[in-house]
Amino acid sequence: MIKIQKEDFDSEEEINKIKDLHANVGAITSFTGYVRNKNNNKKVKSINLDVYEEMAYNQFKKIINEAKLKWQLTDCLIIHRYGKLDVNSKIVLVSSFSEHRKDSFESCNFIMDYLKKDAPFWKNEFYDKNNEWLVNYS
Amino acid sequence: MKIKYFAWIKDITNNEDEEIISEKINNLDELKMFIIKKYPDLKKHFDKEILRFAVNQEYIINNISLDINDEIAIFPPVSGG
Repeated sequence: MIKIQKEDFDSEEEINKIKDLHANVGAITSFTGYVRNKNNNKKVKSINLDVYEEMAYNQFKKIINEAKLKWQLTDCLIIHRYGKLDVNSKIVLVSSFSEHRKDSFESCNFIMDYLKKDAPFWKNEFYDKNNEWLVNYS
Repeated sequence: MKIKYFAWIKDITNNEDEEIISEKINNLDELKMFIIKKYPDLKKHFDKEILRFAVNQEYIINNISLDINDEIAIFPPVSGG
């Protein structure tokens, strides 16, 4: 399941919706990314996330398929927000569903690594008096 | 062909997207030349080779042929997640 949206979401509800479909799932690993109040020694007020939505959707589909080839995954969930997000807001949720924990741990990490490197989103960080576009270095 | 710009590239082009129709553009390298000519402020960023290109939503590194129906996106390094 892939969702690219402006709105906030309830992580537990989203995860449970998928878990309820699969009685064989014994392990779920999730990563949630939030807007921090400080970055590069600057006090962050909010961020604005730009997205190339069609490409992001296709790239997420591709990376989930790749993860499913590498690990025994029953399902995957990626929710990535865009638009204006205040400090403490959720940015992204990645959840991997599998029978055993190793597959869910490793695939969740793999998907997040890809997402930081290649998913077409751009953060514009807003401070007291100015703003700055960021680049992911890791 | 449809060209899309993202993040701070949009601030330079003053445009999110545009249609470019030219018989002189047959591949990505020719499109890059066309865009640098149209937006000279982009040249230094092209020169630094920091920009990324996607054709029909796939990353493209090398020069490829372009079709009139292609969607080409130009953007800086990503910062999602």
